[in-house]
Amino acid sequence: MKVEQQIPRNALVWIIISLFTLVLPHIERVPHWVLSVYVLSAIWRVMVYRGRWSFPRWPIKLGLIFAAFAGILFSYRSLIGLEPTVALLLAAFAFKLLELKERKDAYVLLFLGYFVILTEFLFSQDLLIVLLCVVNVVLVTTALVALHRPGVDSFSTRPLTKASLMVLQAMPLMLVLFFLFPRIGPLWTVPIKSQQATTGMSEFMTPGDVSQLSRSSEVAFRVEFDGAIPPRSTLYWRGLVMSRLRENTWSALDYYEVPARERRPQEPQFTGVPLRYSVIMAPTQQRWLYSLRYARSTDAGILNAADYRLFRPVIIEDDLLYRVTSWPAAQLEERLSDWRRRTELALPPQANPRVRQLAQSIAADAHDSQEIVDAVLTLFREQPFVYTLQPPLLPQQDPMDAFLFDTRRGFCEHYASVFVIMMRAAGVPARVVAGYQGGEVNPVNRTVIVHQFDAHAWAEVWIQGQGWVRVDPTAAVSPERIELGLEEALAGEGSFLADSPLSPLRYRRIDIINKLRLRYDALTYRWQSWVVGFNADTQLQLLQRWFGEFSARTFAVVILGSWALVLIPVGLVLLLRRKVHKLSKLDRLYLRFCDKLEKRGVTREAGESPSAFASRAQHQLPLMARSIADVTQRYQRLAYAGTDDSDRELDELARAVRKLN
Amino acid sequence: MQLQETIDAAVAEVGTVLLGKEPQIRLALCCLFARGHLLIEDLPGMGKTTLSHALADVLGLSWNRVQFTSDLLPADILGVSVYNRNDATFSFHPGPVFTQLLLADEINRTTPRTQSALLEAMGEGQVTVEGETRPLPDPFFVVATQNPVHQSGTYPLPESQLDRFLMRLELGYPHPQAEREMFLRERSNRGERKPLRQIISQDQLLRIREAVMQVHASDNLVDYLQRLVAYTRNSPEFEVGLSPRGGLALLDCARTWAVMNSRGHIVPEDLQMVLPAVAGHRLVPSGDYAGDGAALVTLLQRNVDVIRP
Repeated sequence: MKVEQQIPRNALVWIIISLFTLVLPHIERVPHWVLSVYVLSAIWRVMVYRGRWSFPRWPIKLGLIFAAFAGILFSYRSLIGLEPTVALLLAAFAFKLLELKERKDAYVLLFLGYFVILTEFLFSQDLLIVLLCVVNVVLVTTALVALHRPGVDSFSTRPLTKASLMVLQAMPLMLVLFFLFPRIGPLWTVPIKSQQATTGMSEFMTPGDVSQLSRSSEVAFRVEFDGAIPPRSTLYWRGLVMSRLRENTWSALDYYEVPARERRPQEPQFTGVPLRYSVIMAPTQQRWLYSLRYARSTDAGILNAADYRLFRPVIIEDDLLYRVTSWPAAQLEERLSDWRRRTELALPPQANPRVRQLAQSIAADAHDSQEIVDAVLTLFREQPFVYTLQPPLLPQQDPMDAFLFDTRRGFCEHYASVFVIMMRAAGVPARVVAGYQGGEVNPVNRTVIVHQFDAHAWAEVWIQGQGWVRVDPTAAVSPERIELGLEEALAGEGSFLADSPLSPLRYRRIDIINKLRLRYDALTYRWQSWVVGFNADTQLQLLQRWFGEFSARTFAVVILGSWALVLIPVGLVLLLRRKVHKLSKLDRLYLRFCDKLEKRGVTREAGESPSAFASRAQHQLPLMARSIADVTQRYQRLAYAGTDDSDRELDELARAVRKLN
Repeated sequence: MQLQETIDAAVAEVGTVLLGKEPQIRLALCCLFARGHLLIEDLPGMGKTTLSHALADVLGLSWNRVQFTSDLLPADILGVSVYNRNDATFSFHPGPVFTQLLLADEINRTTPRTQSALLEAMGEGQVTVEGETRPLPDPFFVVATQNPVHQSGTYPLPESQLDRFLMRLELGYPHPQAEREMFLRERSNRGERKPLRQIISQDQLLRIREAVMQVHASDNLVDYLQRLVAYTRNSPEFEVGLSPRGGLALLDCARTWAVMNSRGHIVPEDLQMVLPAVAGHRLVPSGDYAGDGAALVTLLQRNVDVIRP
């Protein structure tokens, strides 16, 4: 093998290092045997380098491939999906080390490495992950640099410096491309539905079938208000409106389950000052968005459902930034249509008879809907109801009867559910709303951080003349939950974040940890709003802000301009660093003479001396022989003989060249 | 000019014994005028020794000839001190190196040890024997001949030693016409070498040297020389490029060549003419490059622009 096709020892070391750092961010996701593939491949390759073992032959390679497929199938029960394919890619990536014979194999491996770095973003675009990926890019580039330094036999970090410099130099180009290059939609997409279970809100609500509600400290979304942040107790982030109770389970109506003429929400009565804010939410693999009531968004692709909530027709698979305007005091749906009234009063017949009986007796004493609501809330407040995250299981048959009369321990779902059942039984249209309540205000950047443990469920009742009114029965049972948040509400129980011992939120009583946490969160917010949330729309807005109305022409100008923005400095640097070879006037004259002869078909070769060129030209252009000889003699005298009166001779040469036509 | 005629006469005189080899004869004279040592490399029987003898004759120099063999020792060249019984002292018997022109025949057949004994003599014009440094006569030339390296029984000269030779010449087969003439003329006069006339006197040699000192090298020409040198250092075809000494050698030879063409300044052709002989043995092709030193020189001449940077 020729020297330049060999893989230098130093490059091999860097390749193996980058291989391991590439798998690092995936380490939690991939099965453990994939990691052993990495270790084994590395050992094998090192032994090959030391001359102890040899490269595997094709039957062994074939066996390894089949083993990898079988392993993926065994670990994931499937070959299709995001995690199995990425794990397969990672295993294949490690196996490629066993084929690393020549430099071209290393190219394949390293270019694949850049791709492997990208796969991490399918799972997370967290700030720290991005930093790790930048480090990985530097390391892969280092291996690539080391590959081009043949004969370096000892481990050297010099390629690392070079690669860091190269990545650093690429940054301005990256920024320009990121902000200005048009976001072209993909030609085709593969549904990359992750198998990861997402914590947080689900589409269904079945109070009583879990006794231990686990709540994570992950961030559901972050909100930045344009003005002051409203008090926490008013922050009810509506996500889903659940109008249907079937087999003890609340669920929302699908778009197509609503009759066509009911699909558009009634225009509400706008009163009060609107709140303007933007939300960045984590991917949920669902379609609904979170907002305060009554919300409107002008962002493309965000729609308003008939029950006054925002949703997107496509699943939210990435971090999503959207802007919302809310009128908290707006009156919603002053007139209730017959279909809507029927829907919001429907109860499964026969279920929970004791609850219904109680509700009907309350309704018999009351004059209007408001009194019924107050009476039920008073019931919750005065009877010994307990707010807890560890309620007892409820029976399948009439669970709400058991809750209201026997156990009396539950969390928001229980209270919202039983309240809505009672309202409906009493003839008041009511429904369950699921979403988040409250949030943590980050003093660093004045954002509201809503965690998964802020998930909440409450009720809305329809009252004549007021429209839909929010009623939170949990607030009646445990006012601290609303006023102070979950942590305070559960202070006695100790179940707050019992499942996540490492969450920094648990230690927020320690001042410095809390400060660091909030700072990092502020950084994450900025990262998400600027980088992750930067999509084609925000890009268009940015460009419109800079360039005014946007036409195809300005678009072309922006693209060309962005290229120029990058290439002109690069070109300038190259131009300035180039060794400046300024031609003297004498040489310019002579080269002009050569150009003139070239037009006549006699081209000077690079290594041809003036006199050799002259004799060839004279031979080919006999009519010009004299002037050719004249120019050549003058040039040679000036260029080589070192005459004294050069200015005058230079003029004569110029004249002689000019005369030549 | 007289000098020009004298040189032409010397070339013609050598040409009577070495037919049809005028370019090589001129280069060989150029090398000696530039005070350089000459290496002639070719197969046996191509006229290497004939050329070196002829050179010594026309220059009228005292010469010694040493046939290098594998058992030749340094003392056989440099000389040795012999005990004189009469006055009970050691007296130095100078070796064949103490001459104006040393013909070192088949230099690569001797061992490196003996080869290196010549080094000091060639580099500094003096020899050190038994701790005593003795100057060599002036002028002092070494004209060495060698067989191509791949022939059996040779010790190739190392690069450092090759560098001491200003030029390396290859004679090559004679032109058929010249060879025919030789076949018709020569009648088994082997062994009886007729000495040639001395054409160039010591005085004229000095004058030639003075003239060489006066030759003007313009900025344009030095630019071209630098481009040539830089090309050998930067192109992938070259494993070893031209050293500064190599560049100086080129310039010296080009100066001499200019004088031999009765010019007071160097023109690019001067450089191009001496380039194969001066640079050929100093350039080493890199591992991938299929050609040899001569092919490298051609590459150099073709690719380096005379005018344009």
